[in-house]
Amino acid sequence: MNESKSITRFVLMALLIGLIVLSCDPSKGAYKQANESENTTGPSINPNEEYVMVTTFVNFPMYVNHDQAAFLRWGKKMGVKTTVLGPTEWDVVAQIGVIEQVIPSKPAGLLINGTDPAIASAIDKAVEAGIPTVVYDSDIPNSKRHAFLGTDWYEIGRLQGEAMVELLGGKGKIAYLGIVGQTNMENGFRGLLDVFRKYPGIVVIGKYDSKGSTENAAKITADLIAANADLAGVCGFDATTGPGIGLAIKEAGKAGKIKVTTVDWEPEHLKLVRDGVIDVLIGQKENCSPGTALSFFMIWYTRLMSFQVMMRGRVLPTYHFRLIPVY
Amino acid sequence: MSLNLKIFQDRVITLSLTIAVLIIVSSLIWPQQFFSLENLSLVLLNLSIDAIVAVGMMILLISGSFDLSVGSVVAFAGGFAAYLMYYWGVYMPVAILASLGVCMIFGFVNGWLVARLGINPLIQTLAMMGIIRGLALMVSGSGIQNLPEGFNQLGQAKILSFQMPVWYMIFIVGIFSFLVARTIFFRRYYYIGGNEKAAVLSGIRVERMKIFSFVLMSFLAGLAGIILAARLGAAMSTTGQGMELRVITAVILGGASLQGGQGKIIGALLGTLFMGIIGNIMILARVSGYWQQIIFGIILIVAVAIDILLQRRADRDAIVVLKTKA
Repeated sequence: MNESKSITRFVLMALLIGLIVLSCDPSKGAYKQANESENTTGPSINPNEEYVMVTTFVNFPMYVNHDQAAFLRWGKKMGVKTTVLGPTEWDVVAQIGVIEQVIPSKPAGLLINGTDPAIASAIDKAVEAGIPTVVYDSDIPNSKRHAFLGTDWYEIGRLQGEAMVELLGGKGKIAYLGIVGQTNMENGFRGLLDVFRKYPGIVVIGKYDSKGSTENAAKITADLIAANADLAGVCGFDATTGPGIGLAIKEAGKAGKIKVTTVDWEPEHLKLVRDGVIDVLIGQKENCSPGTALSFFMIWYTRLMSFQVMMRGRVLPTYHFRLIPVY
Repeated sequence: MSLNLKIFQDRVITLSLTIAVLIIVSSLIWPQQFFSLENLSLVLLNLSIDAIVAVGMMILLISGSFDLSVGSVVAFAGGFAAYLMYYWGVYMPVAILASLGVCMIFGFVNGWLVARLGINPLIQTLAMMGIIRGLALMVSGSGIQNLPEGFNQLGQAKILSFQMPVWYMIFIVGIFSFLVARTIFFRRYYYIGGNEKAAVLSGIRVERMKIFSFVLMSFLAGLAGIILAARLGAAMSTTGQGMELRVITAVILGGASLQGGQGKIIGALLGTLFMGIIGNIMILARVSGYWQQIIFGIILIVAVAIDILLQRRADRDAIVVLKTKA
């Protein structure tokens, strides 16, 4: 009898929660109303068209604030459906699974976060299914992608290396952090090391895995400072490393003494620049405002004819964008 | 009523029914996209690696243990085989066997330290997870591409519209379903998981059996890693991250218990299939990644809660029956 009651209560609770969820209407929320004016701009293509962005880490702050925000805003502006899909942690295999499972629903366009050459076969499947497919962020040159919009990670590494050499006057102990094993970052590491090789005074003490986590980056940096009293510089390669490195340097009272170069320019990065903790940011221009948005247009030979993508810009005149149309 | 409850006590049956309902409802909602051979093939392909690992995890959980290092073994196995082939030009079958051999050594180390030294499996396999991930990073670095075409075909070839990993999964599930259900050797794991001391007293060589279960787990995780590398045509050191919890979740959904002594191999497949279908539905329904996590969490709690309620009810009915007979 008691068990029956428990089951009944459980079902009633589930129904109640379901009703609450179903009764949610974001269109009546203050956020929606506040953003209403922006959403009404822009010509409509075909409201039934759906464009899907498949990222490898859907809640990565930089992606959420820039790539995904720009994509969703573009969708609203153009009056088409936009969907962002992908795993909630850095998982390339899961990203491949999502790409493959999106293909049968034949979206009007696919925007794929280039992460690793291993996603090439999934990209090829999308292209072979006739879906206009754009790779962004890092290129997947071994794929049949229609186009690539993004950055040259080797160049990011090289530029960081040159900036660091300049800051240190060509000598000192350096460590670098990023997501180890990820192809784009490994390319960045390569660019960095290629610069350092030219300067015998630069001593690289190691490559460290931030695992895409600010806490991890802070912990590694703190340990490096403790173990190397003469640490001269730290280079960061993912969005989380800047705040992590900065936190550890501030806590150790080494701001300004240990030079820091890193990527991206989120508000937390800029604050650290103002605080004199970060010396050089190699970043991408925020473009969430349609007025200042940097847009790229690609005209397809398909009946869809156009697929517009707004991407991040750059902060320093050192950031490289490449548009590789492969018609 | 009792008969109905007995049926619903079996997680294989409840999960099969749930999956059937999901398939029917989804086919009605998305007839073009969900109910197609292409989609079925993709769903099975994407769960095949997890399902192969889940088979080993089910055996471990039946024996009352588990292994958190499986994701790292998956990354290492593909990376090491690729490293041997790409950098050293090792003949493909030899590279695969060598990689599987090293994985089995990892399993032996886990098993020996857990069974002989009595280290808690959580601590032991957590430590090995880090060690093996480090080794995977060392061998694969930023990833190894351009693997031999013959190797890639092991994961990319198709038979009857299904890519090879699906067939490997079916074969492994079939073989181990038979072994665990029908052979005395594997049946002993139920005794070990149910009551380890009693198993020792009854003459079962528990330590050896435990070591073997860890070796088998690492072998299957290694095999899954090699199949994954062949499917991707590349080895990545970042593969398998988070796999351990995903697989343990699927296996528990499939009827295993963290206390041990329960579960069927087919349950491991059904657990991963259930999660795969839910994942597929959420992609078709365009549910955002944030909601997917919430929904998966709710599903796990609901599934386990319903199971406990049914179990309690069945236990109470059994007591009533015994009292009536008395």
